[in-house]
Amino acid sequence: MLIFHLDPLATSLFSLLAILALVLSFVMLASHWLKNHIYAFAAESWTIAIISASIGYYGHYPELYIIAALTAIFRGTMLPYLVLRLIKRLNIQREFTPLLKPSSSMILGAVLVIFSYEVSRQLGATLHLTDNIAVLALTCMFSLKLIGFLMMILRSEAISHILGLLVIENGIFLGSQILVPGMPALLELVIIFDLLTIVMAFGMLVRLLQVHAGTTSSRDLQKLVG
Amino acid sequence: MVNFNALIAALWIAPALAIVLMMAIRRPCWAEYLNLGTSVIVFGLTLTILVAVPDAGWVTGEQYILLTPLGAWVLFCVGLVYLLASIYAIGYMRLLPEENPRLHKFYALLAGFALTMLIAPLMNNPGIFWIAIDFTTIVSAFLVGFEREAECIEAAWKYLIVVSAGLALALLGIILFYWGGTFVFGPTYALTWANLREMAPKVPESLLLLAYLLTLVGFGTKVGLAPMHTWLPDAHSEGPAPVSAMLSGALLNIALLGIYRFLSIVDSGGYGLIGHTALLVLGVISLAVAGMFIVRQDGAKRLFAYSSLEHMGVLAIGFGFGGPIAFAGAMYHMINHSLTKSLMFFGAGNIMRAYGTKSMRKMRQVLRYYPVSGALWLLGAVAITGAPPFGLFLSEVTILRGGILSPNPWAVWVMAILLILIFIAFMNHFREMIWGAEAEPGEAPTLKLSVWNTLPMWLAFVPILVLGLWWPEGLWGFFQQAFMVQP
Amino acid sequence: MLDDIVLQCGQILTVILLSPLLHGFIVTMEERVQRGQGPSIFQPYRDLWKLFHKTLLIPESASWVFFVAPVMAFTAMLIVPMLIPILTNFPLPLSDMGDILGGGLILTLGSFFIFLAGLDTGQPFGGLGSSRAVMLGILAEPTLILVFVGITFLDHSMLPFVANHLLAQHPVAYWSPAHIFLIFAFFILLTVETDRLPIHSNIPYEIYMIDEARILEYSGPLLALLKWASWMKQFILYTIFLNVFFFPWGLSTTGSFGSVLLALLIILGKYGAIGLIMVAVDTMQSRLRFYRYQEPLALSFLFAVLAIVADQL
Repeated sequence: MLIFHLDPLATSLFSLLAILALVLSFVMLASHWLKNHIYAFAAESWTIAIISASIGYYGHYPELYIIAALTAIFRGTMLPYLVLRLIKRLNIQREFTPLLKPSSSMILGAVLVIFSYEVSRQLGATLHLTDNIAVLALTCMFSLKLIGFLMMILRSEAISHILGLLVIENGIFLGSQILVPGMPALLELVIIFDLLTIVMAFGMLVRLLQVHAGTTSSRDLQKLVG
Repeated sequence: MVNFNALIAALWIAPALAIVLMMAIRRPCWAEYLNLGTSVIVFGLTLTILVAVPDAGWVTGEQYILLTPLGAWVLFCVGLVYLLASIYAIGYMRLLPEENPRLHKFYALLAGFALTMLIAPLMNNPGIFWIAIDFTTIVSAFLVGFEREAECIEAAWKYLIVVSAGLALALLGIILFYWGGTFVFGPTYALTWANLREMAPKVPESLLLLAYLLTLVGFGTKVGLAPMHTWLPDAHSEGPAPVSAMLSGALLNIALLGIYRFLSIVDSGGYGLIGHTALLVLGVISLAVAGMFIVRQDGAKRLFAYSSLEHMGVLAIGFGFGGPIAFAGAMYHMINHSLTKSLMFFGAGNIMRAYGTKSMRKMRQVLRYYPVSGALWLLGAVAITGAPPFGLFLSEVTILRGGILSPNPWAVWVMAILLILIFIAFMNHFREMIWGAEAEPGEAPTLKLSVWNTLPMWLAFVPILVLGLWWPEGLWGFFQQAFMVQP
Repeated sequence: MLDDIVLQCGQILTVILLSPLLHGFIVTMEERVQRGQGPSIFQPYRDLWKLFHKTLLIPESASWVFFVAPVMAFTAMLIVPMLIPILTNFPLPLSDMGDILGGGLILTLGSFFIFLAGLDTGQPFGGLGSSRAVMLGILAEPTLILVFVGITFLDHSMLPFVANHLLAQHPVAYWSPAHIFLIFAFFILLTVETDRLPIHSNIPYEIYMIDEARILEYSGPLLALLKWASWMKQFILYTIFLNVFFFPWGLSTTGSFGSVLLALLIILGKYGAIGLIMVAVDTMQSRLRFYRYQEPLALSFLFAVLAIVADQL
């Protein structure tokens, strides 16, 4: 399998890129401005596209080049553009009422990274894969997923919920590129398009929310209780 | 030899064609009857597939399509509920004249929803199964938010967010399963249920269990098991009544099928006890949460949404007990629940439109104004809480029987007590609605229910009565066969 | 081949003599960037000379801490240059008196005495300055320790010299994610400890002061010692940042007189460059509210944690 015979240069390249993606998700936790969140997400998607292309190069999987290009186009350009358009239409600039300050969310995110590292280390130990990039890939995958959930839980803006979901999907994609690059390309293609459809659906719904419910913050959407 | 390829192709092409036609011809009455015709065709095809399903799992369509007895059964439930909901939708949507210009979109979405639900149980590839379920979520979210009111949109939004987050977890689980398989099969292999079952014994326990728990929680969100059920009351109560029936009666079954298939993977890995117990615990929690919320419930459709939560809990317990008896009970429960839940949602839709309110407190003396519908509704309430002589009683008792023989007999007691509790709470609500204090004179309902509103209730009611009094021998044999082969 | 003892004294003398120059350079450059004229870069020397010739005024409420604190701070700052690579990249005698953690603790000891000095006289502005500075320190000191732990994990030794060798000779270690994170983390800490964070005020109004308020009561030679001590702390932190983390090249390897002179010249260049970066950090961002100090420090903490995690992988 690819992760078993990687030369050290490739390993450090992948680890650098994976950790860059993780750091970009922390930018999303730390910043006050929604626009910065989206730029960070776009940068993260491009990073993951570069990882895809590198894995295609080192592992001789030519279809990964196409997937990398599609990721860069759809996840890295179109999705952020769609969400930016939504923000402009909804006229919100900042996440006004987060439950936790950015600094505290960063610390919480660091705790989550440590937790995912522990889990990945245990998994790696049972699979006899310690000291391998697999543990790093698992850590980044789990941490991105947990940070995405953190964003969804601690924020009340609808856009933040969408971004949290996209971060989770990004994390899964990152992990799958490093761990299972041989997964049938059809699956990865369809997942990319699926994401596009989801975001378009979200966009329509959020606009409907704004028009009919008058607000997009989940703190005000409290009509259905019990 | 039945040509399954042709059957399945027809099954998918019919709704697709209907959607195209409906969007092209934008007249509401064309859309209504196109949808009705499609649902009849779909029902017939699913019935044929069920009757003719081969004894073992059957793979076709370039390894992408899988036909198993359990899958065919779930497909049949989908077809049945789609037919009933289509008949009812004609009557229900005619009560909403303001929606007339958008009605073709509604029926197109309904047919699209049915199409995605018909694709999912037949998928051999867990990844594509996941994608199909994701598509069902998107389409049904638009259906739930169809009436453009604030609460409907809010419900659709919560539905989409919570379920998408859950499904993302499930995707992570599927990736971990595939990764486990790469240790056995090499870096590239086809992702199918059979391959995953084959690799399960050779993969370390922690990876297998982690992946299974992720998919359990992920697809459990889609099924609506507690504590991931928070979207369920909102989505099922705010959508139009036919949509609620399809959501409760058809979609939840498909997600449960997915959970059961992953459970079988863990089974073949040798960790079946943990897997079954996890599912069982989720089912018990769902039952408990449902019981608590049913006791103090005011909205009519919300009450039935919590009842869906209860029955999904019972199904999860049934599958979680393991063993052929509980499995047979769970399968029988699926069809009974689909029929009864449709009946209840149709009745609720009728009564809500008649009284003009969602609150049960304002619905009084139902039998006086609507003797036929009211009686059917009352009998349906008796049925849905699991009382004899209706079908759900038989299936629940079978599950309890299977539970006594299982490794987790404590759940039998919990389930029985909670079911009794829910029965009492339900009957309390209906007692008030039927024999409660007289409403204000000006609030007497004056709506006349057409045959389109009451016919589906009869169509749903009669089979429950029949299935409750007589469990066909052929069905029992079919359930046993479904248990033996791969799900 | 100069004697090792001469080299060691030379290191201390470098710190003593060049730290006012560094401070003057940064202050002048800040003024020039903001289109002012700025004082000459040798002004701090003239300030020190002036202060040493002024009388010493002692408030009535001062205690023995008042006299001891500047001396302690200055002495602590004299000890640390013995432990870190300033001119040479090989350890000199007495360099193993303390490792990198010990050096950090001695630096903190000096700062601690300056806090006490601010509190000693009982005047309000002293307490204000000390309490604010301690608030920054609460978050900054653990992060500093984490950063040192991180570099220790990276080079499997607690001596700064080993880190210097490792990073100078192995590009793989230099470009590893752990090291890059440590650079960022320490850079943020550097801005905090040398008062270049965008919450530190440029104008000397007492109510905005954080660090300068602690030394408001001092005058004469004691004030000179305190100021010199804080400049030396800045110089030492720059040294650690450059020679252990960021730019481990440019140190004398043989100890001959010519190479030491060359190292001195390179010091001027390296430190000037970092000073310019600090000026940029300080002037590009408008002043933020004080409570925003948590954000860069949380970021620094995060980077340190990520560095430790990334190192295990």
